[in-house]
Amino acid sequence: MARYGMLIDTKKCVECFGCRVACQMQNGLPPEEAFIHFYEKETGTFPNVNIQILPVQCQHCENPPCMKNCPTGATYKNKDGIVLVDENKCIGCKYCVVSCPYQARVPNHKTGVVEKCRFCVEEVEKGKAPICVATCVGNARIFGDLDDPNSEISREIIKRKAIPLRADLGTKPKIYYVR
Amino acid sequence: MLTKRLSRRTFLKASAATTALLSVGTFEFKSWQKIHADEKTNLTTIPTFCNACSSKCGLLVHVKNGRVWKVSGQPDHPFGKGKVCARGHALASIPYSSDRLTQPMKKIAEGKFEPITWEQAYKEIGTKLKQIIEKNGPGSFVFINDPRPTGKFYGPRFLNAVGSSNYFGHETVCSNARDTGFNHTIGGIPGGDVANSKYIVFIGRSYGDGVRPASVQALIKAKENGAHVVIVDPRLNNTAPLADEWLPIRPGTDLALVLAMSNVLVTEELYDKEFISNYSVGFEEYKKTIMEYTPEWAEKITGISKETIIRIARDMAKVKPKAMIEQSWRGAFGSTYANSVDTGRAVALFNALLGNIQQKGGYIFGKSPKLGKLDESIHPTPPEATIPRVDAEYPLVSHHTGVAAIIPQKAKEGIVKAALIIQTNPVRNYANPKYMIEGLKSLELMVVIDIQMSETASIADYVLPEPTYLERDDVIEVTPGVKPAISIRQKVIEKVHANTVPADRIFTEIAKEMGLGDYFNFSVDQLNQAMIAPLGITLSELKKKGTIIIDDPVELGVVPKLKTASGKVEFYNESFKKAGFSPVVQWMEPLVKPDSSSFRLITGKQSYHSHTFTANIPYLIQITKDYNSERLWINRTRANQMGLKDGDLVEVVSELTKSKIRIYVTDRIHPECVFVPSGYGNFSKNLTYANGVGFSYLDHLPFHMDPIGGTPMIHECIVKIRKVGV
Repeated sequence: MARYGMLIDTKKCVECFGCRVACQMQNGLPPEEAFIHFYEKETGTFPNVNIQILPVQCQHCENPPCMKNCPTGATYKNKDGIVLVDENKCIGCKYCVVSCPYQARVPNHKTGVVEKCRFCVEEVEKGKAPICVATCVGNARIFGDLDDPNSEISREIIKRKAIPLRADLGTKPKIYYVR
Repeated sequence: MLTKRLSRRTFLKASAATTALLSVGTFEFKSWQKIHADEKTNLTTIPTFCNACSSKCGLLVHVKNGRVWKVSGQPDHPFGKGKVCARGHALASIPYSSDRLTQPMKKIAEGKFEPITWEQAYKEIGTKLKQIIEKNGPGSFVFINDPRPTGKFYGPRFLNAVGSSNYFGHETVCSNARDTGFNHTIGGIPGGDVANSKYIVFIGRSYGDGVRPASVQALIKAKENGAHVVIVDPRLNNTAPLADEWLPIRPGTDLALVLAMSNVLVTEELYDKEFISNYSVGFEEYKKTIMEYTPEWAEKITGISKETIIRIARDMAKVKPKAMIEQSWRGAFGSTYANSVDTGRAVALFNALLGNIQQKGGYIFGKSPKLGKLDESIHPTPPEATIPRVDAEYPLVSHHTGVAAIIPQKAKEGIVKAALIIQTNPVRNYANPKYMIEGLKSLELMVVIDIQMSETASIADYVLPEPTYLERDDVIEVTPGVKPAISIRQKVIEKVHANTVPADRIFTEIAKEMGLGDYFNFSVDQLNQAMIAPLGITLSELKKKGTIIIDDPVELGVVPKLKTASGKVEFYNESFKKAGFSPVVQWMEPLVKPDSSSFRLITGKQSYHSHTFTANIPYLIQITKDYNSERLWINRTRANQMGLKDGDLVEVVSELTKSKIRIYVTDRIHPECVFVPSGYGNFSKNLTYANGVGFSYLDHLPFHMDPIGGTPMIHECIVKIRKVGV
């Protein structure tokens, strides 16, 4: 049993989209469905201007509203806290879509199943990192067990003062961001 | 570039963004459970290298039941470092593209082709080319490629076999100006040792947009070690998260900035005197000229304050030799302005003033291993062709790149009669497309080898389809560096289209038809074996590993004999003088200037596109569509003055044409220019996904060439913007 989480250091992200496409390939997604999306914010006025880049995907909340609102129990957490979707139980009602504050749920238009980032559970079970972590050109992402105080991720969250996105919502997300 | 904005409202809004559906996905959707539950899955992993850009990073291709599933990075590859960018991942879907060329074709009328057999293609092309060369001489034949393995070896060999010197790469519209400036000044293009540098200035080059994983990592490492990073660019590009400051320079004035920074080093005697006295010539002449270019002078030209210019020059001098102006590729001085060659010279000389050549944290000339050759007694080498090149009026440009943009003009003049073009798209990418088409149509024979019907292929006499990079063996690739590497591209999957033929066979068969078959009596495997033999590597070992690092590193701290005429840094250059140009670098105005009612049209890369080749990959063009990133960037103040709002549809109007495009209103761009990303504007109707997305800056670019570097000066273009429907 672990409690898997991720750290994303936005100061190392150049918005190259490598993670988005790697994830699409890993999961056999069509081009128009992506589990990772980006926000970009411009601050200041010319010439004193800067940008902030924010990659967002399923935050694998400890208290996931999508799971709470799923009428069939299709959305569930596995033993390691990874939030998954049982495609046999999903009826495509999209309650999860409207309840996710991170807009992380992605309806598959062919199957009707509402998918999302799965922390590449099958890679993780083999002891590897999720594909978005493995491919990140700037090594902006760290994956690991949040319950292990000696894991790289636990140490780096403290060192880099990483915080979750919209912690005020009470969802207890497990992706920590460095700004 | 992204335009989706983060706001509290969008974050809280409880609705999913719905995107328009494309009907075709090259990878069929299967849920992960289905993919992974299948225990009969036959999964193999084969090393090869990428073809999505010139970096050619090492890949591991994961093949499931004979079909490409995904790629990951080879940890040892010096450019990839185990990572793969968006282009690298998405390109792996191209074997299954519905737009693939599947059989050889011959043009029967304008825009009309008929399928032919390979035998007919070889025979007709061989016969015709032979006739043309007999009648007009071998100089009437040109070869053009975007230098990639196989083409890079077979092209020059084929040219030699027929007796032509006319080798051309795509550099005319990429790095020719920089290359020309650097080659004659410091004798080549070193790599910047960014990771160990303390002060890095980028002029137009953006690691966050023209992504090479190792470069991004090097810059992050430098930052973690306390380096100061400056972006000089009229546009705040996507290297911004890794930079400390942005100098929004007036477009086309980078040369003035570098001259003034050099002035500070010289007048304040902050340069590396020992290096200059030991390893350079002509410093006194340079010094006299550089005295004119004060920071006060440059402030008026560049819009960068003299205080900033002085501060940066002094701060760089403090940490020299661990400081640099990064060498760039195209950036702001590759093929960009009338003064780009001299910007290249000035940049190389500024680095020389810092004494950073072959120093840790500076400019390092990498090593290339000495490769073996085919046994001449069995495989005769054609004699080197020595006839004059068709671009002889550009004597300072390297023959390893050439001035390809001049070919249409030479074709119109009847000097060039035949062209063989492999996997590059001069019509769309080298200069104004109307001009290119008009010129290339005067050829008597135009043969294009490609995998899809590019704009160039669309006007060819013969179109010859290759298997994609995942379906063929290629000639090995050398990656020069502090520790050079040898990589191999090998067949990962069976051919998807049986009637495609790899380029090495196409060259060989055409040569046979011309009676030159003896020069091509070997296979790619035999060639590769011969090339790596002196390195003590076997082909099977290389095929198993994908990349092998040659552990014979460059000795740092030792300045090599430079490959200039004098063997030293040339502050005064005789070759330039002989060619009729100033032997000492000096200020030159850009060719055109916008007024208060117009803009300079500038361009640059996005991380998920290469040239216009990747725009037809559904996974990549979908990013463009999701984020509306084909839009034209315009400065917020200028937009407000013109009553334009973000997302408005405008018309871009130049002397040559009009383009309709939506605008991205931003503070990230200099008010005197508008920016369009360079990956769009495909007009071939056979490029289903790319066709009609965005526009190309080249559509608006008048045909003009920089007299020194032979580039089309792609930012020397003035446009007006007006709202559609007003």
